[in-house]
Amino acid sequence: MDILISGIQLGAIYAILSIGFSLILGSARIIFLTYAVFYMLVGYFWYIVNTLFGMNLILSASLAVVMTVALGIGTYKLCVERIRQHETTVILITLVLAFFFEECVLLGFGSQLRNVPAFIPGYVELLGVKVLNQYSLTLAVSLVLIFLIWLFLWKTKLGIAIRATSQDREVVNLMGINEKRMSMIAVGVGIALAGIAGVMVAPIYLLEPTMWTEPFIMVLAIVILGGLGSIKGSIIGAYILGYAQVALVYLVPMGSFIRSSVALAAMIVVLLIRPEGMFGVLFEEERL
Amino acid sequence: MAYFLWRLYKNFEGEILAIPGKTVAFFGILFLFCLYFIPIHPYVLRILTFSAIFAIYAASWDLLYFAGQLNLGHGAFFGVAGYVAAILDLQLHLPSGVAIILGAIGSVICGLILGIPALRMRGPYLAILTLAFPVILTGVVFALPDITGGELGLSGISSLSESDLSVYYICLVVMLLSVLIMLKLADTRSSIVRTGIVFKAMAEDEIAARTSGINTPRYKLLAFAVSAFFAGISGGLYVYVIKVAGPSTFHPLFSIHPVIWTIFGGAASIYGPVAGVFILYPFWGGLFAATPELRMIIFNALIIIIILFMPEGISHWFRDRTERMCPRCKLINSRRRSSCRACSAAL
Amino acid sequence: MVRKSIIVGLIVGLFVLLAAAPKPVAQPIKIAALGPMKVTPGENQWRAAELAAEEINEAGGVMVGGVKRSVRIIKTDTSEEVSATDAVAAIEKVITVDKVDFLVGTHRTESTLAMQDVAMKYRKILIVTGAASPIVCERVGTDYGKYKYTFRTWINSAFMGRAMFASLEDLSRLVKRELGIEKLKLAVFSEKLVWADPVVKAAETLAPKMGMEVVGVWRPSAAATDVTPELRAIQTSGAHIIYTATSGTMGVVMCKQWGELKVPAVMTGGHSHACVKGFWKATGGYGNYVPTFTGIGPAKITPKTLPFWNKFVKRFDEFPGYESSTYDAVYLLKEAIEKAGSLDSDAIVAELEKIDYVGAYYPRITFFPKGDKYAHDLRFGPGYATGVTNQWLDGDVKVVWPYGWEGITYEGSKPYTFPPWFLKHWKK
Repeated sequence: MDILISGIQLGAIYAILSIGFSLILGSARIIFLTYAVFYMLVGYFWYIVNTLFGMNLILSASLAVVMTVALGIGTYKLCVERIRQHETTVILITLVLAFFFEECVLLGFGSQLRNVPAFIPGYVELLGVKVLNQYSLTLAVSLVLIFLIWLFLWKTKLGIAIRATSQDREVVNLMGINEKRMSMIAVGVGIALAGIAGVMVAPIYLLEPTMWTEPFIMVLAIVILGGLGSIKGSIIGAYILGYAQVALVYLVPMGSFIRSSVALAAMIVVLLIRPEGMFGVLFEEERL
Repeated sequence: MAYFLWRLYKNFEGEILAIPGKTVAFFGILFLFCLYFIPIHPYVLRILTFSAIFAIYAASWDLLYFAGQLNLGHGAFFGVAGYVAAILDLQLHLPSGVAIILGAIGSVICGLILGIPALRMRGPYLAILTLAFPVILTGVVFALPDITGGELGLSGISSLSESDLSVYYICLVVMLLSVLIMLKLADTRSSIVRTGIVFKAMAEDEIAARTSGINTPRYKLLAFAVSAFFAGISGGLYVYVIKVAGPSTFHPLFSIHPVIWTIFGGAASIYGPVAGVFILYPFWGGLFAATPELRMIIFNALIIIIILFMPEGISHWFRDRTERMCPRCKLINSRRRSSCRACSAAL
Repeated sequence: MVRKSIIVGLIVGLFVLLAAAPKPVAQPIKIAALGPMKVTPGENQWRAAELAAEEINEAGGVMVGGVKRSVRIIKTDTSEEVSATDAVAAIEKVITVDKVDFLVGTHRTESTLAMQDVAMKYRKILIVTGAASPIVCERVGTDYGKYKYTFRTWINSAFMGRAMFASLEDLSRLVKRELGIEKLKLAVFSEKLVWADPVVKAAETLAPKMGMEVVGVWRPSAAATDVTPELRAIQTSGAHIIYTATSGTMGVVMCKQWGELKVPAVMTGGHSHACVKGFWKATGGYGNYVPTFTGIGPAKITPKTLPFWNKFVKRFDEFPGYESSTYDAVYLLKEAIEKAGSLDSDAIVAELEKIDYVGAYYPRITFFPKGDKYAHDLRFGPGYATGVTNQWLDGDVKVVWPYGWEGITYEGSKPYTFPPWFLKHWKK
C-alpha cells in the first residue's frame, strides 16, 4: 500500500520534470543539460521573493517560475543557440553552465539548507498511510499539467508546430514554420515545467545547491527509457522508474542509497537493447 | 663527434626553431626540467606536479576524442586505477611502479567494459552513457566499503619517492613518455603506426571507414583501452602523490575537467590538452591562492567565454596565427617566412 | 620624454615599496583555522578560534620565552566537501605561503587524512576538531616519529558510539517507565557512509542486550532529499525509538519530515546538521523535539562553558557546534607554548602530552599518552570529556544527557521531553 502511494507521488514529480526535458530534447534536439539546475534555481528564487519581499506564497511561486524561465531563455539565447550544431560543445557548455549556476547559488546562499513553507501544510491519513498534503497537491498539479501539455501539443497550432519540428527539422522550415522560434518556445515551456516541479517540491524537500543532481540523473534515465521525443514515453518512464526507486527503498532498505545507480543501470540496459527507448523517434542521421 | 653535434643542432634548428609552436613547446619542457636548479616554492612545485599528472589525464581523453568518442565519464578510468593501485599498495605492498601499471590495466578493463556498449551508440547517447559510468562506480564504491573505504577512501599510501622534487621529476618524465606515445598513436602521417589515421577516419565518417575495410569495433575498443590505460597511469600517480584514493575522482565535475582543458587547449591534438592543462591548472592554483571564494565562478565564467569565442582552442588558435602550410609541398612553415623553407615556393 | 617619466616612476615606486616594507615587529603567532568555510561547521571552527584569539590578545597575548606575542587566526577554506585535492592545496599554501605556526580544525575524514600527511611533513602541530575517525590518531601509534604532531579535541567515533549508546540506554529507560512497557522496538536510521557502519553494527548487537528489539535498519544516501518512504516504513514497523546517525543534509530532511508526519517514535543519536541554529529554520520548526549528540550545550559543563556559549550565540547568532572546540584548542596551544617557552613543535608536543586543562567544552582535557591505543586522542569518560546530547525545544536547545549518567548531570540540563503526539499515540 505504502509502495503504491509513494510510487505515485515520486512518479508525478519525475513526470513533470521529464516532460520538460523531453520536450527540449525531442523538439529542439538540444541536450540542454542545464535543465535540472533550473529546478533548483526556481526554489531559490522563490525563497528570495518570499522571504525578502514577503509576498504571498502562490504569487511568489509564480514569480519565481517566471524569473527562472526568463533566465533559462536568456541562457539559451546567449550561450547555446549559436553553437547548436556542435552537439559536443552544447553538452559541454550546458554542463559547465549548470555547475556555474550551482556555484553562484553556493556563493550567494551558502550550502545550508533553506526551507520554504508548504502551500497546504500538514498531512492526511489515507488508507492507513500518512500522506503529506503537499504531495497530494503535487499529484493534482502533475495531472493537470499533463492534461494541459496534451491540450497544448495536440490541439493548438503552436503545439502542433512544435511537434512537427520534433519529427523533421528541415522540412518544417520549408513548411513556413520558424524552426528557431519553435525551439526557443520549447525550451521556455520545458524550463517552465522544471520550475513548476521545483516549486511543488521545495516545501517537501529542502533547498540545497546540490539538490538538482539526483533528479538530473533520474530524468536522463527516464527520458532515454521512455524514448527521445516522446511525451507519452517520458510519463510512463517516470512512473516506472519512480516505482522502481520506491520498491527498492521498501524491499531492500539497506540498499536505498543505491537508487541512482540502479536507475542508471536500467538506462544503460535500455540503451543497449533499444536506443530509441520505448516510444522514441530517432532522427535518420542518428541511426547507426 | 663535433660533426654529430653540428648535425644535431642543424636538426634542432630545422625542426623545432623553424616553427614557433614547437619552439614554445621545446623551451617550455626544457624549463620544466630545469626546476632542479631554480629555488622553487613548494606550493608551485605541487601545482606543477599535478599539472604533469593532469596533462596525461587530459591527453588520454583527447586521444579518445580524436577517435571520435566523446567520453564524459573519463574520471572513472582515473579513479579505478587509483583504487586498484591503492589496494595493491596497502594490501600487498607492491612497488609503486608495478602497482600503478596494474592499476592502469584495471582501467583498461573498465575501458573495455565501457567500450562494448559504446560500440552501438553515437553522439549524444554515447555521451550520456559515459556520464552514467562514474555515477555507477560511485555506487559500487559505497556498496563495498570494506574494500574501497566508502566515503573515506583508502589512505596511507606510500610515497613515490623521498623528496617532492623527485616526485615531480618522475611525474614529468612519465608525462613526456605518455604524451610521446600518444602523439605517435595519433599521428596520421606515420606509415608504421596506423592507428592515427584509422582513428581519424573513424571520427570523421564511421560508415565510410567501415566500407573501406576498417574493423571499426576493434579500433573503437582499442581507442577506449589505450585511453583508459593512460588515464589509469595518471590516476595511479595521483594517488601516490596525494596519498589518498577517494570517490572524489568519480564526481562528474572531475570528468569534465579534461574536456575543459582539452577544448581550451585545442581538441583532437594531443599537445593541445597538455598546453591547456599547463595554462589552466597553474591559473587555477594561482586563483586559489588569491581569491579562494570566487575562484570557481571566475573559472567557470572563463570557460564559457573561451568556448564561445575561441572554440577551436588555444593551441589551434596559436598555430593558425603563427604557421602556414606550403601550398606545394605541404610542409609547415612559420608565418613570418615569405617562402617555404624546403621547396622555395612563395607563401 | 615618455621613457624618462617611466624611469622616474619606477624609482619613485621603488622608494614607496621600501618605505612600505614591514618593519621588524614581534611577529604574531599564526594559527590556521582549517575547514570548509562555505558551510557552517567550517565557519564555526574559525569563529570559535577567533573568539579565543581575541580573548587571549585582550588579556595581553601569549608569553613566549619572555616576549608577549599576539595570536592571529588565518581563516583557511579547505573545500573538503568538494575535493581532497583542494584541501591538500589549501593546507600546503597556508603552511608555505602564509607560514602559520599551528593548525586547528579540519572536518571530513577523507580530506583530514590527506591534510594530516602534509602537516606532518612540515612538522606542524595539527589539532583536529572535526573528523572523528579513529584512524587519525591511530597513525600516531603506528609511526610516532612522523605523526606525533597530531592531537584531537573531539571525541572519536569509538567513544562517540559509547556516549550515544549510553544516551540511548537512558532514553529507553525513560520510555519504558513513561509507557509502562518492558520490551521496546528500535529502528536504526543512518546514512550510508563508512563512518556510520560501526555505529549501526554496535546498535544491532547491543540493543537486544538492553531489552530492545531491532525492527529494521534504514540507510538512505547522505544526500537524499526525501525519506518519507523510510519514515513510513518505520512507523509501520511499530518502533518506539529511532536511533539516528547522520552527518549530511539528509538528516535535516529526515527531522523535518519526521515532524511533519508526526512519526510516533522518539529519536536519539546524532545529526550533525542539527547542531546549528540554521536547523530550526531549515525544518520550518518541524525539527522540534529532535535530539543530537554534540560537544557542547548551554549548561554548566565547566565554569567557562556558559560564558563562551552566550558570547558565541550573541556575536554570531549561531550555536557553537562540536567542531568549534577550536576555542579550547587555541587555549591549549597557549598553555603549551607558555610552559614550553618557545614555539618549537617537539617541545610543545611534549607539553601537550602532559597537559590537564579545564576547557569550555570538556571538564578535563587530557590526551591519551604515547603508546596507548588512542594516543593523542581526547580522553573520554565521566569527569573527562563526555559530550552532551542537546534537544531542540521551541527554537532553542537544552542539554538532556548526561542526566544522571555515571552520576553526572551538568547544571542547567533538563530531562528529555517527549513529543505530545508520541505520548498520544502510545497511551491510547
